[in-house]
Amino acid sequence: MEALGLNLPKLIYQIINFVLLMVILYALLYQRVLAMLAERRQRIEQSLKDAEQVKLQLANARRDYDAEIAKARQEAATIVAQAQERARAQEAEIVAQARREAERVRDEARTQAVQEREQLLREAKDQIAELVTLTASRVLDAELKASGHDKLIAESLSALGRRN
Amino acid sequence: MSSRNRNILIVVGAIIAGIAARLLFPMGQPAISVKAEDIFGIPNFTNSMFVLLLVDIFLIVIAFLATRNMQMVPKGLQNFMEWVIEMMFNFFSSINKKWTPAAFPLLATIFLMVLVSNWTGLLPGFGSIGFCHAGEKQATLALNVKDPYAGLVPSPFAAAEGESKYLGCQPNESLVALFRAPTADLNLTLALALIAVFAIEYFGFRALGVGYLGKFFNVKGGPVGFIVGIFEFISEIARIPAFMFRLFGNIFAGEVLLIVMIFLLPLALPIPFYIFEVFVGFIQAFIFSVLTIAFIGLATEHHGDDHGHAEGAHH
Repeated sequence: MEALGLNLPKLIYQIINFVLLMVILYALLYQRVLAMLAERRQRIEQSLKDAEQVKLQLANARRDYDAEIAKARQEAATIVAQAQERARAQEAEIVAQARREAERVRDEARTQAVQEREQLLREAKDQIAELVTLTASRVLDAELKASGHDKLIAESLSALGRRN
Repeated sequence: MSSRNRNILIVVGAIIAGIAARLLFPMGQPAISVKAEDIFGIPNFTNSMFVLLLVDIFLIVIAFLATRNMQMVPKGLQNFMEWVIEMMFNFFSSINKKWTPAAFPLLATIFLMVLVSNWTGLLPGFGSIGFCHAGEKQATLALNVKDPYAGLVPSPFAAAEGESKYLGCQPNESLVALFRAPTADLNLTLALALIAVFAIEYFGFRALGVGYLGKFFNVKGGPVGFIVGIFEFISEIARIPAFMFRLFGNIFAGEVLLIVMIFLLPLALPIPFYIFEVFVGFIQAFIFSVLTIAFIGLATEHHGDDHGHAEGAHH
């Protein structure tokens, strides 16, 4: 054994050396690398799962979005229809109101015209009456004096002209 | 000139240069020591232990650098070490999935340490840089070959009478190498063999409890079973020298082969053998760790059960 170099202390040294190296490499290398590999594997799995999830969510979101858009379009159409309806109603209302207003104004104008005519007529009547009275009194006065017909007529005419 | 012709010219030139170098600089006979030698005058501290310490430091530094600042997206050394460890883990798992996680530190350390140790032996300076010691070497495998080139040509560098005609150690001296591949030392290979076999038995007991002993001392199986058990026991013990000498023999033989090739022709000729030794160094590290996990697999299997589903039947 000695010729082959085998020797107990050296053997023990080698065993201790190996065990120490194994422990150090385990703590420094194997454990960390294997943990890292496991973590990476897990992360990749998680990422794939997440990606699947995201894809699903995206599809859902797309579907929701489409549904929302469709709904919004429908609502918009409804709103527009309602607005048109309301506008038409308002238009009719406005036209009716305008018509009523015009009617009212016309009626008022008519009433006023009638009243004015009546007043004119009344005033004319009064004037005529006055004139007649005046003329009559003048005629009567002239008859009494029996003179100056022409003068009387001229005075009456000028009186009329002054009043107007 | 085609690249093929150029390559041939380079090889031929190297061979001629090698022969010329050998003629001009005579070499002493290559002395090969089977055992690792003490260096620095420290008792029980051999050149192989010295290199093993360097290997330890190398592996620890690599491990430290690779895991110092680990990133989720690995780069550089971290990436490389992750690749190495994952490859090892997956490979050992393909042999025995159940026990690889528990045995992995042992298997990986065997593989890395043996691989790096084997390859250190191929570095320049291993076996050639050292101290010249007067006197015959102990336990030296003296290659009984004469320098085939000696005296063919008078060397212009030949020293005067009485002085050395050799570069390096004198004929009456022997070289104690400063560096020696750790796996070319039986102490290391025996230590690894003992650790591996101890681990195999440990996992055997861990999986089967005291019933593990029934594999070797089989009283239920009749006389044939008993004899088979004894053989199992012998083969279990025989794994220690098998592990020990397989690794030592391959690496030591590789070193001897390279020394002889360099002795015969220093240039060109050793190159294919170096490439071969790189391969052998890897294969031996691989075999040692793979056999360990394979034997753990065998030890943890139930005796008498069909292979494969033994564990399931037990639990």
